Amino acid sequence: MNLGESLNMAVKTLTANKLRSALTMLGIIIGNASVITMVGVGQGAQRYASEQFESLGPNVLFIIPGSEEARNRTIDLPRTLTLEDAQAIASQVPTVTGVAPQLQTQQRIVYRNRNTNALVLGTTPEFTVVRDFAVERGRFFSALDVQRANRVVALGSDLAKSLFGSQDPLGQEIRIKNISFQVIGVMEPKGAFLGNNQDDVAYIPITTMSSRITGNTSPYGTEVSFISVMARDEASINAAQFQIRNLLRLRHKVTDVDDFAVRSQKDALEIVGNVTNALTLMLAAIAGISLFVGGIGIMNIMLVSVRERTQEIGLRKAIGASQQDILVQFMIEAVILAAIGGIVGTAIGIGGVTLVSAVTPLKAGVSPTAVALAVCVSGGIGLFFGVVPARQAAKLDPIVALRSA
Amino acid sequence: MQTIIRLEHISKVYGSGNTEVWALHDVSLTVNAGEYCAIMGPSGSGKSTAMNIIGCLDRPTEGSYYLDGMDVARLGDNELAQIRNRKIGFVFQQFHLLPQLSAIENVMLPMIYAGIPHKERQERAAEALTRVGLANRLNNRPNQLSGGQQQRVAIARAIVNRPVLLLADEPTGALDSHTTQEVLDIFRELNASGITVVMVTHEPEVARQTKRIVWFRDGQVIHDHLAPTNLGQMTLVPS
Ligand SMILES: Nc1ncnc2c1ncn2[C@@H]1O[C@H](COP(=O)(O)OP(=O)(O)O)[C@@H](O)[C@H]1O
Ligand SMILES: [Mg+2]
Repeated sequence: MNLGESLNMAVKTLTANKLRSALTMLGIIIGNASVITMVGVGQGAQRYASEQFESLGPNVLFIIPGSEEARNRTIDLPRTLTLEDAQAIASQVPTVTGVAPQLQTQQRIVYRNRNTNALVLGTTPEFTVVRDFAVERGRFFSALDVQRANRVVALGSDLAKSLFGSQDPLGQEIRIKNISFQVIGVMEPKGAFLGNNQDDVAYIPITTMSSRITGNTSPYGTEVSFISVMARDEASINAAQFQIRNLLRLRHKVTDVDDFAVRSQKDALEIVGNVTNALTLMLAAIAGISLFVGGIGIMNIMLVSVRERTQEIGLRKAIGASQQDILVQFMIEAVILAAIGGIVGTAIGIGGVTLVSAVTPLKAGVSPTAVALAVCVSGGIGLFFGVVPARQAAKLDPIVALRSA
Repeated sequence: MQTIIRLEHISKVYGSGNTEVWALHDVSLTVNAGEYCAIMGPSGSGKSTAMNIIGCLDRPTEGSYYLDGMDVARLGDNELAQIRNRKIGFVFQQFHLLPQLSAIENVMLPMIYAGIPHKERQERAAEALTRVGLANRLNNRPNQLSGGQQQRVAIARAIVNRPVLLLADEPTGALDSHTTQEVLDIFRELNASGITVVMVTHEPEVARQTKRIVWFRDGQVIHDHLAPTNLGQMTLVPS
């Protein structure tokens, strides 16, 4: 008997019992849908984070406070980075063209009768260069503003809108933590970075920030949250990283373990990759387990089916079906169930991924590898879990099978 | 004359030791081409066991069996399957039609296993169904047919691969007297066209319409005689 005949026969049998066939497929459908969705979302998360870091440009370095151990253990990082560190880097590291220390807190911001809660970020004029952030109207604060700790503020575009509406904010007075600031500029829209809206932020001189708003909170000097640094070019990244590390080790009198880290864009991408790979792997493992359970479901139903169709098997053997014919017939039924389940599940998974990318910033994608893998694995599961029932059917003694009423 | 069935000193033993059952005990039987033979005997006398061996569904414990000149007693499973497919047609008491298939699809089944192309299958199946008087029932499912019609579909399925031998184990056991006669008419016609027919039956009126009656008891052939052509004269219980 050829394969086409077997296929035809299997389809007839499976469509004769549609509800059961559908229920049998359910496990595989769910398994595949979850594989496709979860891997898609995992990769979407990775792509999203990667794009965010890539958007920073290849020349950017981040200096973050705390030892490796401290960073892994707590989110309340030790305050080991200071404004003086940033100034030292700017003046002593030759491969660096811009240094933007950042100190940020959430504050209440008031303009007349309107008020809102927003992030207040203290930094230096280099911030606009390092982060490629342009002013739309007015100006960003200058080195002189920083030097004098002037009470001036540049508003993110969303923040400007929520405080001023259609009114012109330039020259107006707003109050941050009840201290009045003069609005000198409005930034261009920039979008979110890792989920934080950069347009809902008030940018002020870092000196004003530490003297008026946060106060001196570090025993080492004026605390900063972290420092963004721009290297001269991509080729000097490694040199800059090395020089900054040496300088800070000297300044912090490090003898043993660094109480800071210097990260390049490449490092960040690597970390993102590691985290999301682990995540994707975990999701895939969960989905794999549900596929396996789906396979067991198929085996279970096929075993029941063999028992129910004992007489049919006996009859087929009596009219000339060989053991192999029977084996192939039941194997094909199992594989068809699994493969169709795989295809339906994949379609649902693609739907899920599309939905996720529509309602979240994750650019979840359906990877062709995941689809191919899911469908092949489903077919394989059908083969694997179909063997036992099919062998049972093939080995039936036709006389016994025909007699069973 | 050509011999279709030659059983020589066939024994069939089920179980072993204390539970040993000799279903057949040294049975020798020859059936020639063109014969129409009824097998009778009490329940448990070995009729079905003999039919299973003749039909290559089972192998004897002892003895040899030549089917259409070929020694089949020691053949493997695959070869036996092929012989059942090409040389033998089966008719069972419970019809054994596949409920999800139409009449013509049921009749096409043996030809699928014979590797006959689809078009020819359809033609031959329709032909066989016409032969049993079901030309207008090709696409009915078994549950849309009466018992007699179902058995006729089963007969069409049995003859569609043009076997030399038609085996029927109590084919009329589930039918009323009217449909029994329909089935017997078909058997007689098939036999007249050259197919050798062997049929197990409990009913004397059925056996009477064959050409030869073989009596079994306790796994042995105890009587073997020509069937009386005259309906009234037959001795139903052998001496
Ligand atoms: N598979 C089997 N296992 C054990 N004993 C069997 C088996 N098949 C038949 N027998 C025994 O063999 C004897 C003959 O059975 P069978 O050929 O079915 O008789 P009949 O068809 O004439 O009624 C009976 O005693 C029956 O119990
Ligand atoms: Mg019997």
